Amino acid sequence: MTDIRTPDDLPDVTAAELALGVLEGEERAVALRRVLAEPGFAQSVETWREYFGQLFAVWPEAAAPDGVFERIERSIDALHGVVPPSRGIWPAVAGLMSVAAVGLLVFVVARPPQAPLPVPAPSVVATQPLLVASIAPTAKGAAIAAVYDPARGVLRLTTAEAPAARRSAELWVIGADKTPHSLGLLTPGGATRVTPAPAIRRQLAAGATLAVTIEPEGGSPTGAPTGPIVLKGDLTAV
Amino acid sequence: MTDTPAAPIIGRDAVARAELVEILVRTGDEDRAAFRDLYIRTNAKLFGICLRICGEREAAADVLHDVYLTVWKRAGAYEPSRASPITWLATIARNRAIDWRRANGTRRSAPIEEAPELVDAAPLASDALIADEEAHSLHRCLEELDGNQRESIRTAFFQGVTYAELAERLSVPLGTMKSWVRRGLARLRECLEA
Repeated sequence: MTDIRTPDDLPDVTAAELALGVLEGEERAVALRRVLAEPGFAQSVETWREYFGQLFAVWPEAAAPDGVFERIERSIDALHGVVPPSRGIWPAVAGLMSVAAVGLLVFVVARPPQAPLPVPAPSVVATQPLLVASIAPTAKGAAIAAVYDPARGVLRLTTAEAPAARRSAELWVIGADKTPHSLGLLTPGGATRVTPAPAIRRQLAAGATLAVTIEPEGGSPTGAPTGPIVLKGDLTAV
Repeated sequence: MTDTPAAPIIGRDAVARAELVEILVRTGDEDRAAFRDLYIRTNAKLFGICLRICGEREAAADVLHDVYLTVWKRAGAYEPSRASPITWLATIARNRAIDWRRANGTRRSAPIEEAPELVDAAPLASDALIADEEAHSLHRCLEELDGNQRESIRTAFFQGVTYAELAERLSVPLGTMKSWVRRGLARLRECLEA
């Protein structure tokens, strides 16, 4: 089986290719959009992930370096508002801000799925236009509004209908690279405020689509959307 | 597939798996002691995954940190009926490591080691973390593929590489690589669903 044929002759195994991770660029983006649009396809990707998961049994082990667990514990403390002793790159920052603000900063750096607390914003002059979107339901329900301030890197959304029990509503941006990037979970029963990482912020531009999917509680375990899309809308500059 | 292929779910392995499910579920309830136990039991497997895909220890340790932080935040969403605990954990580790490698634009043509030698290796029936009746079906089906198809799919999985990188590593044209993998996956599907 070493003959070369055009890809069109080959069987459609896109779900397996996505689960295996061999796709990139436009092919991957198309496959990720199918996960959003086709429940059967999404289920097929899940099934393949479980199949390939069997290979983890033979993956060679390697003991983690010392100190990693302590770092993880400090990050968890920061998530839960326990203020860590200032160290490393933080003392200079700590000199300028209250201890509580440092705690918040670490909290934000760790990028929890939901960041409902206000962020100490860098003092940047707001010269870029705001981007707004009306994120409308694909089936039924109420639309929500999104406002993104590029100068501050803050995205705010109005309160969405709460998902079913043990489910979370996850927000995605599909921008210039045509690939869904998670922006975190919508705050159940309240407004949502997100400060995306710089790499994701680049996708938040006029014309980009914001979408909300229903995921397992805590968000998509794979980093890509797995559930149905319930709300969708495009960003416009104002 | 040495001593006990398709062993029934009994004994030591099943106990270890059940314990792992329990500490993962307790981690989901924000139980720090359970989380520490989880780390002790699984860090070598997850670091092994990060190390092979990232290719450098320092980056792999950073990714491992992010992996366990993700586990801490998402363990509440873990559903024992849908995935084995180690598959759930290992999938997070593999995806995070691949994200790191792609974000850092590294396309190492010389990985730290070659893919694990699986061709003749027994699929570790003794592996305490994965032991159920279906654990060997993928291994069995992979064995039925042509050599090129099998090697391509294994390399893709264990090194977390795309078609383009696979073609480069195995020194074949991209079209040939896609053909190998797609035909291999189609045959795997038939075998697995049989």
